[in-house]
Amino acid sequence: MTDKVTPQARAQEAGETARLLSYILILLASAGLFVTAMAIPASRFESLGAGAFPKMVFGALMLMSVVAIIDALRKLPSAAYGRFVCEAVAWARRRHLIFVVLAALGAYIVVLPMLGFSIASFVFIFGLELALMPRGWKTLLIATIVATVFSFGLNWLFAEVFNVFLPRGGN
Amino acid sequence: MEDFLSGFSQIFTLSTLTYMLAGSIAGIIAAAIPGFTVTMAIVLTLPLTFSMEPLQGIAVMLSVYVGGYTGGLISAALLGIPGTPSSVATTFDAFPMARRGEPGRALSLGVWASFFGTILSTIVLIVAAPPLAMFAVKLGPWEYFSLIVFALTIVASLVGDSVIRGILAGLIGLAISTVGADPIMGRPRFDFGIEMLQAGLPFLVVLIGIFAISQLVSEVEDSISVRSGNALVTGTIDFQTWKVMKEVLMRPVNLLRSSLVGVLIGALPGAGGSIANLVAYDQAKRASKTPEEFGNGNPDGVVASEAGNSATAGGGLIPLIGLGIPGSAVDAILMASLMVHGISVGPRLIMDHGDLVYGMFIAMAVASLMMLVVSVLSMRVFLRVASVPKWLIVPVVMTCCVVGSFALNNRVTDLYLLGFIGVAGYTLRALGYSLAPLVLGVILGPIAETNLRRALMTDSDPTLFLTRPISLLFLVAAVLSIGWAVRAHLKKNSKTERTEDASAS
Repeated sequence: MTDKVTPQARAQEAGETARLLSYILILLASAGLFVTAMAIPASRFESLGAGAFPKMVFGALMLMSVVAIIDALRKLPSAAYGRFVCEAVAWARRRHLIFVVLAALGAYIVVLPMLGFSIASFVFIFGLELALMPRGWKTLLIATIVATVFSFGLNWLFAEVFNVFLPRGGN
Repeated sequence: MEDFLSGFSQIFTLSTLTYMLAGSIAGIIAAAIPGFTVTMAIVLTLPLTFSMEPLQGIAVMLSVYVGGYTGGLISAALLGIPGTPSSVATTFDAFPMARRGEPGRALSLGVWASFFGTILSTIVLIVAAPPLAMFAVKLGPWEYFSLIVFALTIVASLVGDSVIRGILAGLIGLAISTVGADPIMGRPRFDFGIEMLQAGLPFLVVLIGIFAISQLVSEVEDSISVRSGNALVTGTIDFQTWKVMKEVLMRPVNLLRSSLVGVLIGALPGAGGSIANLVAYDQAKRASKTPEEFGNGNPDGVVASEAGNSATAGGGLIPLIGLGIPGSAVDAILMASLMVHGISVGPRLIMDHGDLVYGMFIAMAVASLMMLVVSVLSMRVFLRVASVPKWLIVPVVMTCCVVGSFALNNRVTDLYLLGFIGVAGYTLRALGYSLAPLVLGVILGPIAETNLRRALMTDSDPTLFLTRPISLLFLVAAVLSIGWAVRAHLKKNSKTERTEDASAS
């Protein structure tokens, strides 16, 4: 194996390594939940208790993840593991906007009960638009109008038309 | 007959028709926006239908569904970007046709083909669903359990590029469905002392997180396309509505074949419009006398793709109404909306709620007519919609997701769950897991468990699953579907390896 690996092949390898990690995670989680399911007491009235079906599901999950792990190990060259961290960082850098969006969503959900729907939504929409949009006077105007309509306007619509009261804030 | 009239009178009220019209428009707009899928539109419509009558709610969602299959055509024809995965094949011929200076003809062809595809599939649905239900009520819990196993395996093997990850996704869905009280005895499971989990994970929040949030996040993966807006095909557009209708009707064989392909694929669990349009296109190309013209703006290609994807709408309802098993993620959402109204979906649906089922048939036909009228009258307006930039769509639709999840139970904790599921859903999507098997697993899990346990309560002999002929048939089909998928997978692998070797040498 020479070092003549194309960037695409490297990215693919990194993807496969990440998938391998996900299989291992699924295996561990399903094993843990399988043990939890063992603790569910069997019923006197039926041969299968409340724990039987979950045990089947988690058992099948463990089996499939082992198959997946073997399959992934077979495909991956040993050098791929060393390159993984590097590739993962490059991936995250290329797609940094994902983290911006997820962080904004997380912050929005957390402050929503405190600030109330209208204000929190306005800040969320407007902030995310600012982060994503090409800056200019026209886009800024559109962004402000859209943010107002979908925060204060949506709140009004739900309260008046559907009689659903979105969080008012202060909690 | 009485049920038919009752369904008819429930659909033809002013409020229902108005809501349906709004639904059609919303569906077309949503699907015309690249990055906004039909599934997302329907998930977000669901919370709005809670306060409606069951039939009214389902009619609105069907309008969004039917409209959505058409809306994808707009960006496919004019931008060459499929607005939804179900209009991929439409780009092959509609886009060259639009570039050649006939954008109006391309759009009209697609609209008419969609209309006839939906109508034909509704006819097949009306003919096929009731007998299937008659047959299905006779099935015992053994057959039902095996049928669900079959449905899940075929979904896992058809969708996505990896059988293993498809099966894993389906199993994760089943695992999610085991959280909360067990379906027979009500014994709490896996709630870990968290109050929210005791009643099970709220299905709608899971759906919104899995489909909408993860999709929106994946839209910003490419930072360059987020910031730029797409230029539309410019110049005047002449729709030639009636001329094109004749043109479409002059191709009855293609129209019929593509619609039937759509119906069959739609009826198969897991496969929907995103596969049907490609298969119908391929079949049309094979049957054509001039296959070399396909890809250069051949009207037959547009008709095949659009009739094929629209016909899956009716096809997908066949197993839902006949067996109580949703054929696709969208049908799973329709089923969830009926369950929210306390209507249990199964083969008895057509007997217990005949008016509802006939109402659904009527709603399908009305929705396709509305879609036709709306698109013909206002296509020009929708042209602008296709150019709405992503930097506006992502934050606004995310806010709608938050509202939708909150409005279900008025619980702030549901929002935390939404955030969590959204991140998990995006991670799975980025790792190449397909999400459709997961959602079907969530909805089919309790049904599978109930039937399994009922079967063993009736008779504790587990070999009955293998000795009852129909049950055995489904299980054999399940094994075959996995085997077939694994074989196709291995074949593809050896082929790519060989080409890699060839290019290396």
